[in-house]
Amino acid sequence: MAKDRTQDGDYSGQLKRLLGVVLVLCLFGLFLVWRIDSPRIERFRAQVIDRVVPSFDWAMAPVTGMVNLVQDFRSYQRIYQQNQELRRELQQMKAWKEAALQLEQENARLLDLNNVQLDPRLTFVTGVVLADSGSPFRQSVLINVGARDGIVDGWAAMDGLGLVGRISGVGDKTARVILLTDTSSRIPVTIEPSGQQALVSGDNTPAPTVSFVETPDRVRPGDRVVTSGDGGVFPAGLHVGQLTKDPGGRLRVRLSADYERLEFLRVLRNWQDERIIDPGGLILPDGPAEAGETATEEGAPADG
Amino acid sequence: MAERNATYLWSMRALFLGLCLLLIFLRLLPLDTLPRGWAGPDLILAITLAWGLRRPEFVPPVLVAGVFLLCDLLFHRPPGLWAGLVLIGSQTLRARAPDLRDLTFPVEWLSVATTLLAMTLGYRLVLSVLMIDQAPLGLSLMEMVMTLLAYPVVVVLSQWLLGVRKVAPGELDAMRPNG
Repeated sequence: MAKDRTQDGDYSGQLKRLLGVVLVLCLFGLFLVWRIDSPRIERFRAQVIDRVVPSFDWAMAPVTGMVNLVQDFRSYQRIYQQNQELRRELQQMKAWKEAALQLEQENARLLDLNNVQLDPRLTFVTGVVLADSGSPFRQSVLINVGARDGIVDGWAAMDGLGLVGRISGVGDKTARVILLTDTSSRIPVTIEPSGQQALVSGDNTPAPTVSFVETPDRVRPGDRVVTSGDGGVFPAGLHVGQLTKDPGGRLRVRLSADYERLEFLRVLRNWQDERIIDPGGLILPDGPAEAGETATEEGAPADG
Repeated sequence: MAERNATYLWSMRALFLGLCLLLIFLRLLPLDTLPRGWAGPDLILAITLAWGLRRPEFVPPVLVAGVFLLCDLLFHRPPGLWAGLVLIGSQTLRARAPDLRDLTFPVEWLSVATTLLAMTLGYRLVLSVLMIDQAPLGLSLMEMVMTLLAYPVVVVLSQWLLGVRKVAPGELDAMRPNG
């Protein structure tokens, strides 16, 4: 009987094996094409995600809501304690609010004095987080705004408090945001108040590392970290977080954005700012500057 | 009889697809956007291998390739590589299924473990040769070990709840879809 089985498997078995080989070759081929011509396949990926994830959406919202409800329910057990904590925090916040109001007024006065032009084109689109990356290796989220809403690769995404990540991969209705904690994320930053330039690179931990600080002596834990705008990808001055030092002595940044609950992200519209590439031309007298050459040729005999 | 078998076969294939989609859906839920220091088991892979060893006809190669390609695309992995490796792994296991059918579960588990190890190492090797940045070694090893630990659970659950068990030698001809 065993023999019978193998004989029977001969024809259809070989066909199946051939099919398997062809499938494997197709898949590896796709991988190689991705390696060679990544943007095209990434566009395809964005289209697939665009098609698949919104169709999950009707179920995703209630399930996520339910799970969050259960998680919240656990916190009801210590609601009194939490209330006390919140009151205490509120007291502190009121003090800060006073300080902030004073600073705001002062800032307005100073801006008025300086006649500063704030960039009017920095507006934002807000999107809802649809899904996360689904794997522990990549840190990214999908949001429900895409090319339809004018989203462009490379724009910065923030929550209300700080920078969250950058757009990488835009579908028609969805876009992927690579979080700062992802291993492929590198952001040029400035550490204030010392003004040191550095690079924030994600390493799959909640606090990305800060590297390439020019003089590490001049920065201290607690310093503010903001984007520097170098490289032209991000606008300058977006709040990233606070500098900390881990037990190993490495500088890290504690992100201000609330990574535990990413629900709404605002994507900053950042039209490429004008760059100054070439050095200035010669400064010539006003009148004959346009027709400089003809003027000299004609003018030379007259002078001489 | 043959017709009933065919409906059964297709309904089990649909069940496999449905389970995979459900698992993908669960993994995509935006519950923890904070990076975790641990990796859960890849249940889709465990189901694919377990079913492939028990009832190969429920998990045809085309279905496996499709499901894992979708996973690659959705989970932001290099598309195609992991799907191809899974296909090779499951086909290798399937080719050994007749020998494993008579042996005990630990032997089966061991062969699944070696296949999984080879797949993971091959994946990382290809990625590093082509200089694609990859996940930390610890995490992917942890995912592999968790998948291995989850494998017996998946086997037991799919036997009890879904009735996916090894075919007894006598049943084989009766269960043959085209027979």
